[in-house]
Amino acid sequence: MKGNPFAFRSGAGERGTGLVCITKSGFWSSFSSQSLLAYNSSFSAGVNYENRFVIPELGTCTAGVIFPAGKSSVGVIYSNFGYPEFRRNMGGISCGMPLGKNVSAGVQVDYFSEIVPGEYDKIRILTFEAGAAFNLSEKVTAVIHLFNPIPNSIRKSLLPSTITAGAGIDLSKTLFAGAEAEMSTDENIIIRSGFEYEAAKKFWIRGGFSTRNSSFSFGIGYLIKSMKIDLSLSTHERLGVTSSVSLVFKIK
Amino acid sequence: MTFLYQKLIIIIAFSLLLYNVSFGQAESNTEIISNIAEELAAEDNDPEAAALYLEYLNDLIENPVKINLRDENDLSRLFFLSDFQVKSLADYIRRTGNVVSIYEIASVPGFDQHTVEMMSPFISLKENDAGSSDSLSVRNTLLTNLILKPGEKDTSYLGSPLKILAKYSIAAGRFSAGLTTEKDAGEKFFTGSPPFPEFLSAYTSYSGKGVIRKIILGDFSLRFGAGTSINTAMRTGIQLTAPGFMTIRDNLRPYTSTDENNFFRGAAADLAVKNAEVILFYSRNRIDATPVLSSDSVISSIMSIYKSGLHNTSSLLLKKDLLTETVYGMSLSYNFRFMRVGANWSETLLSIPLQRNADDPESIHDFEGNKNRLLSINYNTVSGRIMIYGEMTVNNFRYPAFVNGVTLKPSDRLSVNVLWRKYSNGFTAFNGSGPGNSSSSANEEGIAGNFSFEAAKHLFISAGYDITHYPWLKYRCSFPSMSRKGGIVLRYLPTEKLNFEFTYDYRYSMINNQKASGIAGIEGSESRTFKWLFRYAPDENSAFTTRISYKAAYPSGSRGMLLLQDVYYRFGRVPVTLWFRYCLFSTESWDSRLYTYENDLLYSFSIPALSGEGSRSYIMVKWDIGHFGEMRIKYSLTGITEKSGIESFNDEVKLQFRIWF
Repeated sequence: MKGNPFAFRSGAGERGTGLVCITKSGFWSSFSSQSLLAYNSSFSAGVNYENRFVIPELGTCTAGVIFPAGKSSVGVIYSNFGYPEFRRNMGGISCGMPLGKNVSAGVQVDYFSEIVPGEYDKIRILTFEAGAAFNLSEKVTAVIHLFNPIPNSIRKSLLPSTITAGAGIDLSKTLFAGAEAEMSTDENIIIRSGFEYEAAKKFWIRGGFSTRNSSFSFGIGYLIKSMKIDLSLSTHERLGVTSSVSLVFKIK
Repeated sequence: MTFLYQKLIIIIAFSLLLYNVSFGQAESNTEIISNIAEELAAEDNDPEAAALYLEYLNDLIENPVKINLRDENDLSRLFFLSDFQVKSLADYIRRTGNVVSIYEIASVPGFDQHTVEMMSPFISLKENDAGSSDSLSVRNTLLTNLILKPGEKDTSYLGSPLKILAKYSIAAGRFSAGLTTEKDAGEKFFTGSPPFPEFLSAYTSYSGKGVIRKIILGDFSLRFGAGTSINTAMRTGIQLTAPGFMTIRDNLRPYTSTDENNFFRGAAADLAVKNAEVILFYSRNRIDATPVLSSDSVISSIMSIYKSGLHNTSSLLLKKDLLTETVYGMSLSYNFRFMRVGANWSETLLSIPLQRNADDPESIHDFEGNKNRLLSINYNTVSGRIMIYGEMTVNNFRYPAFVNGVTLKPSDRLSVNVLWRKYSNGFTAFNGSGPGNSSSSANEEGIAGNFSFEAAKHLFISAGYDITHYPWLKYRCSFPSMSRKGGIVLRYLPTEKLNFEFTYDYRYSMINNQKASGIAGIEGSESRTFKWLFRYAPDENSAFTTRISYKAAYPSGSRGMLLLQDVYYRFGRVPVTLWFRYCLFSTESWDSRLYTYENDLLYSFSIPALSGEGSRSYIMVKWDIGHFGEMRIKYSLTGITEKSGIESFNDEVKLQFRIWF
């Protein structure tokens, strides 16, 4: 099970909950599930660094910004993975808005470029992703999300597609739990589940599990005035540990 | 033609000016209907079952049951209702007057909200009926379907790759008439001399309330009792998680379907005097068959009846209309206070005798000759909360078939069904199709049971199990064998907007294991399928469905899974409805293939078997053209990743026009 390397999953907070990204609103999750952008109505910016298996060449740097635009919120994201000889860049512009009392939706246009050494060509692909979030009750949210629902026959370069569906519940004022199912082209279904617990004021503890590589995740988060710092570790059954750190500034 | 074009242009122009548009009935197919369709599609031994089932549903949408007429025969067209529910609803309307809202039905004993939602696309609360009113208002309906697979061009086929269906019907007072013509992909539209459309079917019908209930001239569909002797209508099979197994009723209807070999052509009359009812019919129809040629190339006998209706090659065209089938018979039934009893007799004469393959042990009990006589008796009785029903049929005074069942309703929240059937080796009913696991219904003995239970508020549980023995050899099984299947469905409907469903399906059968030369061995083939479904409809104009399926097949051990997302949206300001699906699937072999029901054009259906690694997506748009008609267009695309890593794609375009004038 490889998952879809193009489907955006970032943020130390999200990785701490086992990459349960689409059901809990947050800065980084708004770029994994654009319908959640509708709940980010303040101007904010963030940076994230993720290091896979303690190998510097497998690091990912990500920066993003979200700003309100009337009833909608707009986001811009840029991500860079790899090293000069092998690099994958991703840029995206997203928009999310409420469609009714209990429904919100969002869409993101993505641009990918890959540089691979040797005889392989550079890859440049334009696609989009979209989703919808439903507040089934005050405490329960269900989300669906499609990444690249464009048949490859329309375009010459191949790009995997992904369908994700999940639900999250606020079990109490301080405890959230969520679960997601995800399937990508030529892949089996991945199930992810995770929780976030506000152990003390402005301090969060996170945990999660993903059937993808039987990965366990742990993380913590702390809010200092308008800056939130998150740290996380996640395991891989054979390759070791992935660590990540992120900073998010709520400017206005 | 020019006039038609002009009329079409005027209709489209007018519709563009219409702002005050009334939408048609809800286009919602409930999960139970999809489940049954997928179950039937997975039946290897009856490939036509799903097509007939969905065609029947389309017919119900086109001609909904007018429940306020209180006609139990008409109500029983809602095949998913048990006899209990049919009687209960008819009694309720007789006692309290017309139903004014479909939600009122949920308060009728034996009904719940879930059943009402399932019924809603197929019923009408209108009381005036073309068959019962004296109104002479004329209503014409014209439907045309065009289906094209752009990439597929096979030069060996006789005709164009276009699949064409056209239906026309007219109703005026108690009279109605209809015409259906169809051409499958690869077939010529006109064949024979003089040239006629590939398939042409027509009827005229009179419906009354007096002694003459119905008279049909032309093509008609007929069912007697449980259908073991005569049933050219839909065979529902044994759906283990559906509320009821079957009803014992006679039913005569005009034929509007496109199955080219399973209908009657002639005349039929349904007469009723007080509690007695008689149906008489005579049919002479030409059907397809595979001939046996003698040394001088003369047709000496028939090897088999060819049922697929496809004539897209020269060799298949030779089978067309080769056999003349003459069938006549009658059915008598009488309604006592607590019991209905019926008896029927029919004879089938074939113009060329049928000859079984003497070299094949599997067909040792098969029918031979050109005359088949069927006698049948049936009953059903209701006492309190118990209903008992049954039918016994014998063909040529030699081969019997038995069907007996009981339905218990210990409380309004619990319904229990048990059905036993036995079809002896050699039992033959060319136009019959009783409850069972295959359409041929011979060489089968089995018992099935199920229950439906409202376990708690909003929580519904259905489960069933079926065990069938095949005392003689059958297709792909050179031994006496058996099969088992079971299923559980949990439905949680916390609000009208939300639906959670979990389904488990288990199947076991025995097939040949041809690992070496010589006599085949036998092995068990087993599959377990799990399905999770979540449906959310924020309002009446939109719905979102997510589904995950997982299947494991043995002995191959292969696994299959899929995740799909459906979106249904009806625009508020323009009369346009949209369906979208995106599905990703991954199966390790054909054994673990998964079936997914799709929304489609009326009188067209799609339940693709998804196998391999790939995606399946479709988008369908319906445009309601005022009160004059509608147009649907569907584009579907299947992409498969080959083992070499190359992706191959198949796409299909379907177009439908329906016009009322």
